[in-house]
Amino acid sequence: MLTFGKLTNSQDKGAPFSPMKHIFKIISLLAAISAFWVGLLQASIIPRTHTWLLPIYLVVSLGCYGLLMVGVGLMQFPTCPQEAVLLQQDIAEAKGFLKDKGVDVGSD
Amino acid sequence: MELADRAVGLLLTLISLSIFTYFTFWVIIVPFVDSDHFVHQYFLPLEYAIIIPVFAGVALLSLLSLFVGSVMLKSRKKKNKKA
Repeated sequence: MLTFGKLTNSQDKGAPFSPMKHIFKIISLLAAISAFWVGLLQASIIPRTHTWLLPIYLVVSLGCYGLLMVGVGLMQFPTCPQEAVLLQQDIAEAKGFLKDKGVDVGSD
Repeated sequence: MELADRAVGLLLTLISLSIFTYFTFWVIIVPFVDSDHFVHQYFLPLEYAIIIPVFAGVALLSLLSLFVGSVMLKSRKKKNKKA
């Protein structure tokens, strides 16, 4: 959700889609984090065992953040009851039309 | 039902927030507390902070690959039946 939002927000209407810039941003962020982690290992301010835990903590917090975004999005998802009814009418109409023409519409 | 969706969403947010706070406390705050504080009896030993996420990640990856493999097998069987 985080990357999809960034991809759509950073594009103008006429700008061509450039996936490479986004990859470079992610790679540079990862390189900065790993440099910080290796620096922390070398400086030995914190005991070694705790420094080894840091990447796992980051991955777990990233997973938690994704889950949080899914939950928040679920809670705020807008439903449109009128559009749902209209859509069902459209579907029934299209099915009847296609069945008359002889196309196999299948069952749901 | 909209209410069921919102309940599931609320449950997910609560689960994620609780997991995040517990894990943060476990990894960052508890190691710097004195050994004879009462807080240590609420948290497992620190090795489990590595074992449990890695195990969960491996289980998630294997379940995902199982699901993808079963879907691929089903689609191939359907295609063979039709042709």
